Amino acid sequence: MRIACPHCGPRDVQEFSYLGDAKPQRPDGMDATEAAMADYVHQRDNPAGSHRELWYHGAGCHAWLVVTRDTRTHAIAAVETMAQARAGAPA
Amino acid sequence: MGEIGTTWTARGAWSGIVAPGVFSASGAGVNVQLREGLGIASLIASREQEPMLGRALESRLGLSLPTGPSAVSSASHTLVWAGAGQWLLVAASRAGVAEDCAGLAGLAAVALQSDGRAVLTLSGTMARKTLAKGCMVDLHPRAFPVGMTALTSIAYIGVQLWRSEDGPDGAVYQIMVPRSMAGSFWSWLCASGMEFGLVVATGQD
Ligand SMILES: [Zn+2]
Repeated sequence: MRIACPHCGPRDVQEFSYLGDAKPQRPDGMDATEAAMADYVHQRDNPAGSHRELWYHGAGCHAWLVVTRDTRTHAIAAVETMAQARAGAPA
Repeated sequence: MGEIGTTWTARGAWSGIVAPGVFSASGAGVNVQLREGLGIASLIASREQEPMLGRALESRLGLSLPTGPSAVSSASHTLVWAGAGQWLLVAASRAGVAEDCAGLAGLAAVALQSDGRAVLTLSGTMARKTLAKGCMVDLHPRAFPVGMTALTSIAYIGVQLWRSEDGPDGAVYQIMVPRSMAGSFWSWLCASGMEFGLVVATGQD
């Protein structure tokens, strides 16, 4: 598998670390209920298909990336920097 | 205090690791120049600081800050892109680099790296073949032209690699590794280049 880093270009997947689902947003500090926190920490979708997920280009430019990958085929539809992902509609 | 200080001796990043000489099964396909005495600083700027940092460097060094993976050089300095909003300033001599950076206060997070990195220059007809044994980045001249840089890993060692002006034997690569990894990097380079013949020299450029 190769990931086309928006900064560096296409690189082997071993340059990156997988950090999981990009969707969960941390509940707001001390106001969050225990249930909301438990959801945030433990609950993940497990889709057969398109998945937006975080990858870290640790052996390259040290950027956090949001990769849209098909979990059935590993086909990558999009790779965004965090800044691009934040500028777009939150997932 | 001074008594203790006198037992410490400054030494180059490659000293005790590799000395000038020939490491060869046969031939002399790879030239290695151990770069000593470079002045190196890392610069990190926020998106707001970046244009001001660019102007300051432009007026001091006459170099424009690369916004993508490239390296730009003058006779005395090189600016290398090192990630989004990050650069390395490499000066031919370490003497002036602190002065170069003094003018950047408030425009970037600046850290001197002259003692923190080890740099060598790789050239020769078999330089690219040697790098291909450990580098996953495509170094074909079409994919990696003069002035391009890559942050990648070679033999699990993080490297900053860039291509400077061609020499008599074609492509010339500059390779920078963390100083603590210099020994491991040399052990990979020596093993990989041995079949082509490595000629190691030391010097400024
Ligand atoms: Zn990258």
